[in-house]
Amino acid sequence: MVGTEAATTPAIRVAVGSAEHDRANGVLEAAREAATDVHIVETGPTGAAALAPVVLATADDRTAVHANVSPDRARELVETLEAGDVPTDDAHAVAESDEGISMPKTGPLAAGQRHVLARCGWAAPAALDESLAERARDEPEDLFEAVAGAGLLGRGRGDGHTDESIAEGWETARRSDGETVVVVNGNESDPAVGGDRLLLESRPAEVLDGALAVAAAVEATDVVVYLNEDDDLAAQRVREAVENVDAGGTEIDVVAGPDRYIAGEMTMALEAMEGADRLEARLRPPGPSEVGLYGRPTVVHTPRTLAQVRAFAAAPDEFETSAADPGSRLLTVTGDGVTGPTTVELATDTALAEAVADGEEYKMACVGGRFGGITRSLDVPASAPALAGARLGTEGGIELFDGATCALEFAGARAKFAREANCGRCVPCREGSKQLVELLRDVYDGNFQPSELRELSRVVAESSTCEFGQAAPRPVTTAMDAFEREIAAHAEGRCPSGVCTETN
Amino acid sequence: MSTDHTGRPESLPSVPSIDDPRPQPPLTEHFNTGTATDPDVGARETSSLTVDGEEVSVDEEATIIDALEEVGADEDLSALCYYDREDTDRIGPRSECRTCMVETDEHGLVPSCSFPAEEGLTVRTDSTEAEEARSVNLDLVLSDHNLRCTTCGKNGRCELQDAAIEADVEVPRYGVFDDRDEYEPIDESSPFIQIDRNKCILCNRCVEACNDVQVEGVLRIEGSGPDTRIGFQNGADEMMDSTCVSCGHCATVCPTGSLVEQDYTDAATIPVPGFTQENSIGETIGEDYDGQPNPATPMKGNQTYEDDALDGEADDD
Ligand code: SF4
Ligand code: SF4
Ligand code: SF4
Ligand code: FES
Repeated sequence: MVGTEAATTPAIRVAVGSAEHDRANGVLEAAREAATDVHIVETGPTGAAALAPVVLATADDRTAVHANVSPDRARELVETLEAGDVPTDDAHAVAESDEGISMPKTGPLAAGQRHVLARCGWAAPAALDESLAERARDEPEDLFEAVAGAGLLGRGRGDGHTDESIAEGWETARRSDGETVVVVNGNESDPAVGGDRLLLESRPAEVLDGALAVAAAVEATDVVVYLNEDDDLAAQRVREAVENVDAGGTEIDVVAGPDRYIAGEMTMALEAMEGADRLEARLRPPGPSEVGLYGRPTVVHTPRTLAQVRAFAAAPDEFETSAADPGSRLLTVTGDGVTGPTTVELATDTALAEAVADGEEYKMACVGGRFGGITRSLDVPASAPALAGARLGTEGGIELFDGATCALEFAGARAKFAREANCGRCVPCREGSKQLVELLRDVYDGNFQPSELRELSRVVAESSTCEFGQAAPRPVTTAMDAFEREIAAHAEGRCPSGVCTETN
Repeated sequence: MSTDHTGRPESLPSVPSIDDPRPQPPLTEHFNTGTATDPDVGARETSSLTVDGEEVSVDEEATIIDALEEVGADEDLSALCYYDREDTDRIGPRSECRTCMVETDEHGLVPSCSFPAEEGLTVRTDSTEAEEARSVNLDLVLSDHNLRCTTCGKNGRCELQDAAIEADVEVPRYGVFDDRDEYEPIDESSPFIQIDRNKCILCNRCVEACNDVQVEGVLRIEGSGPDTRIGFQNGADEMMDSTCVSCGHCATVCPTGSLVEQDYTDAATIPVPGFTQENSIGETIGEDYDGQPNPATPMKGNQTYEDDALDGEADDD
């Protein structure tokens, strides 16, 4: 049943995401076969791949959370529930609630808070109880004023207003000529940053509702959801959600762009949507809010931003609106010692370390996705200004690396990615990334030139056209901040981590 | 994740039910230039700004570089890819070289050729950061350039050469592109225009001259990252197989020795016997064009020929 988020009890919920798709589908089928009276609900993933497949068994205001469930175990869970008991034996957690996943005390689901993620793994993806868009259509100014007053910032590199006031972008779009479009930029190809994919697979109805609400606030006529062509499950669930939400006359399109890192950049996303056969960033200013898709004013938001807007509208009192970056941030933890990618939600005043489970040891972390900053310490709040102050990236990814990772080799690998994956348009990024790789290679030849590396990084970051080049040198400069001695050792023919045996 | 998209990707499906209100000249509608659809970047209205302490006012549609020109401050910038002659409204700004960076109080470092001359901006050309960015970016251009002026057809009339001389580049930081194994062969296939991609700075002027001025739709930008290069819209490997009509406009606008009229390829070189541009690269493609009867490539002729053949088949049915 797709209409409402809460299923009639007793109910078994099976969380199915793309990462555990086949296994979880097997569990879902087994549960369906075993059930007679119990309701079986297919939900989206929870965000904790290590626990998948996850099954929730609910009756009488109690929910048992079961992790790593096999089809056989699923049958048993259904049978126990059919017999009138909540199957608490061997449960990962038991909650005295029938509203959403209450937090287990330990494990990957225990980290941080679950506001934006509250219904991930709990509600059917296309189900929606309360429509924010409907409210916004009645009182568009209210949403606008509230979001402007709270100073909500855009989330993720693909947003039109990353780490900037989204209301300012709305204002610009409203002032600009032409019929406004709202774009949901859900094309993220970086596997280490999973927040948008999680929302699209788990709560597409909320993402769409958020987009429709923004459309009302900026008087847009169209909403376009832009996905990664390889995200089949997200595409399917978004389409189901489109069928299920009340668009109130707003046209909704669902399209997909290539699975390439650059295709997530806001203007290359627009190019892909316009059918360009080669992707290249557009000049700015003016940015998409003024001149965007087909030249029309275009408000570009990531699913993360839209989920944030929706969470804010649902419970404004829970937002610390005096904060420089109110709300929460979705962070995906991956890397050495992490069993499966885990996407958690941290309030922006919480330290990143909270996202990392106890016992996960690391030598260094790369914070902020593909071109994040390298750090030894995660004792940094998850807010945009704090992350920037620590020279880390705000794109929600934390990659952990153990002692067998060499900071120089890692920085070199990211520089090579920049060299290969850029769009080719501008000199600082296209040629600068080549020379960055060369200067790092020189270290192995005994020639470590910190000031040349810094100079080049500065120019690439400050004179590149789009966020790709602006962020690209960050792994290199932050590796030099945190691991300068380790890098310098290579110039003497020694890799302290024992990784770089052959100087490349 | 695929990062190696160097070939020609299929056209992506465009958004089905979104109106495109942009006016499009019918001829260029089907051109695949490979370049982004940039917004109009000029200022919306007449504005006054401060450049190096001097008050300047500029017209609507101006970018910062127009204000710099007013006070002569553009002298200090290479502004290599900026095209400031006839057809300026149809060529550029591409704003790719970033050798025109200036400092603004309001937005930090910006490329003066494409940043709108907003009312009230305070611009400085001589800040340390701006000078550093211009100098590093010029050296980055040279790092990918086969700098052999003595055998180059544009020697003495080359914008890159001028820029390097004016910026007093003695030894470019990152060296120059000097690896025989990595050179692209010179395209000698056309009797009228020579292409040496080892000298191309990807300014896109030729592509715009070809598509937007001449409306021929021959040239495009292709590839990405380090493989970005100028190519042909019909997918040809060499100029002679393209749909080129040899109008020469691309060579006229090219700032470097990348596109040179065949008559001039050796015109300005220093006559060292036996040392020419071709053998400086060591490899060429398509040298045999002696009997070529007219300026249009066979491909251009073939187009009609194939169409006729198709018509013929249709008649037979
Ligand atoms: S910064 Fe890099 S990706 Fe962005 S426009 Fe320049 S070359 Fe392209
Ligand atoms: S294009 Fe020719 S003349 Fe110009 S800088 Fe290069 S080698 Fe020298
Ligand atoms: S061939 Fe000449 S005009 Fe064309 S992009 Fe290269 S440098 Fe510019
Ligand atoms: S002249 Fe401005 S970027 Fe090239």
